Amino acid sequence: MRSNNHIGLLALASFFAACGSAPAFAQSAADLLNDPKNTQSVLTYGMGYKAQRHSALKQINRGNVKNLVAAWAYSMTDQTGLEAQPLVHDGIIYITNHNRTAAVDGVTGKEIWRNNLDYAPELLRIVCCGIVNRGSALFNGKLIRTTLDNRILAMDAKTGKEVWSAKSDADYTKGYSMTVAPLVANGVVITGVAGAEFGIRGFLEGYDAETGKFLWRRYTIPAKGEKGSETWPGDSAETGGGSTWVTGSYDPDLDLVFWGIGNPAPWNPRGRKGDNLYTNSIIAVKPKTGEVAWVTQASPEDPYDHDGVNSLVQAEIKTGGETRKVVMQAHRNGFLYVLDRATGKPIAVNPFVEVNWASGWDYAKGRPIWTDVTIKAQAGEKVNVFPSNYGGTNWFPMSYDPSANLLFINTNAMGMEYQAPEPVKVVAGQPAFGVTTKPIAPEFRGHLKAVDPMTGKAKWSVPFKHINTAGTMNTAGGLVFTGQLSGEFMALDAANGKLLWQFQTPSGIISQPITWEKNGVQYVTVGSGIGGVYAMRVAGPSLGNVPTGSTLWTFKLHGK
Amino acid sequence: MFQHPRAALFLCALSLFAAGEALGQQQTAAAGENIYDMNCAQCHGEKLANAGITFDLKRLKAADRPRFENSVLNGKGQMPPWRGVLKESDIEALWTYIRANANE
Repeated sequence: MRSNNHIGLLALASFFAACGSAPAFAQSAADLLNDPKNTQSVLTYGMGYKAQRHSALKQINRGNVKNLVAAWAYSMTDQTGLEAQPLVHDGIIYITNHNRTAAVDGVTGKEIWRNNLDYAPELLRIVCCGIVNRGSALFNGKLIRTTLDNRILAMDAKTGKEVWSAKSDADYTKGYSMTVAPLVANGVVITGVAGAEFGIRGFLEGYDAETGKFLWRRYTIPAKGEKGSETWPGDSAETGGGSTWVTGSYDPDLDLVFWGIGNPAPWNPRGRKGDNLYTNSIIAVKPKTGEVAWVTQASPEDPYDHDGVNSLVQAEIKTGGETRKVVMQAHRNGFLYVLDRATGKPIAVNPFVEVNWASGWDYAKGRPIWTDVTIKAQAGEKVNVFPSNYGGTNWFPMSYDPSANLLFINTNAMGMEYQAPEPVKVVAGQPAFGVTTKPIAPEFRGHLKAVDPMTGKAKWSVPFKHINTAGTMNTAGGLVFTGQLSGEFMALDAANGKLLWQFQTPSGIISQPITWEKNGVQYVTVGSGIGGVYAMRVAGPSLGNVPTGSTLWTFKLHGK
Repeated sequence: MFQHPRAALFLCALSLFAAGEALGQQQTAAAGENIYDMNCAQCHGEKLANAGITFDLKRLKAADRPRFENSVLNGKGQMPPWRGVLKESDIEALWTYIRANANE
């Protein structure tokens, strides 16, 4: 009898595991795989392992979105930028910033628990681009996040109590900091690091998601004698940058994690002649070991801070009579890369904004074709470059609509006057620039574009005076959601870009909207709270003195 | 013009000194601009063009020198302390650059 009971329980358990709904198996590996299909929760950064940020929900749609109203707002009690993507499980929303992790009732907005973080104030000297955090991960009842001082923390999602805490062997006084949302793949927490503006040597790390045990570190820049080290003269590789500060995506069939690697340090290229592998590359690694399956470099010997950490979106795309499994990146260098997921081989590389540093991609050689602009820049001459160091887009993720085969990207049309006068030495932990730059700003700096991945061409494009530094999200209701630095949270028609609804939040939107449902009601959640490098460094007075202060907002249809 | 040749000589020397001092100020401002570009621009705005999210340094008046130094050395709000990183001469250079571009 007893053993029969056990078998019965096991059967029941596997039934629930298959359905992905048993509380005991909450956010199990199976749940994470099912994330994009289960519209009640958002368990992963990117709203599913493919990072498409597409939802099948359509209660809110192009016909009724004008009736969208605020359900509640939650204060983060903070003046820094709110960039994080929230997660949702069992109707509870999890939100992070630089010094807080909080759980909020998704229906009422009432706080369930919050944890505050402390760190040394001098740490902020090496946070180049906004005092931010980009989000968290859920796994088996734990909420997992990184901290600016390079810790990885797992909390009980129900209570906020610490389950485990790990410390990366990375010192903020040497320029390392973590702002990235971790990714849990095959039971391993994967994290990246920021700091290529301060001469770090970038890496990815893997930790056991159950225990926090350190498993592996994969440097993005080879050590002396390793393959690729010949692309760095002298000791330049030791402080060569290659940060990994934006979350990648995961293909469970190939068991590969894709991640963007950022710019070389210093920005000035003249003391690091060579391809500078593997900066500005897309890397595919095995999550259990960090073993590298392939690397594809987008911008060798980059002088422009075309820091290619951008989001990596997976899709199945029909081309040349076959369906290809691809991973796509709208790179800061202005080209949209469509790569074969298994091999990393480029299928299509086309500009999605004005580009003049390269004329295109040489598919045979597997590298960009430099124009005179880049040849002169490398020689120390003054040049006008498009895109600027802020990129054709930046960290804020794009989204993909699989039914229309379109990417929704917030783009940046700015260029820059650029010069790298004399080679500079880098000291780890010190600013590593060595160039002069001056923005070239057209009347409309920003565009929200619906882009065909295979051509880079826009089906529609909506201009904005300043760029939108928020993520995009799209739904089966025919809507694209994103926000402006001036605080407007917007819903646009995915078919033509027409603005259908907007709501003035109290501060600028630089976060990542999500949508989810509970008890038959669809909700949309987004953070408001201005910050980030564009708003602080580039925008200038014409942005209009937007108030600071971060809040989390949730919307639903009136009467629901 | 000058009744006394010695007075003329003296004034001439004085104006040379003043020109030298102005040149020194310019060099200090240029050094300050470089320090600003490296350490401050990311939050306070490229070439002091401030969007209003952080403190607009162009608002600092001549009499604000002590509180400027206090904030730089000890930090303020989200601003980290720069004690031990920026030297007194660096702070002087920064101040010269900021004041040369101040609102008033």
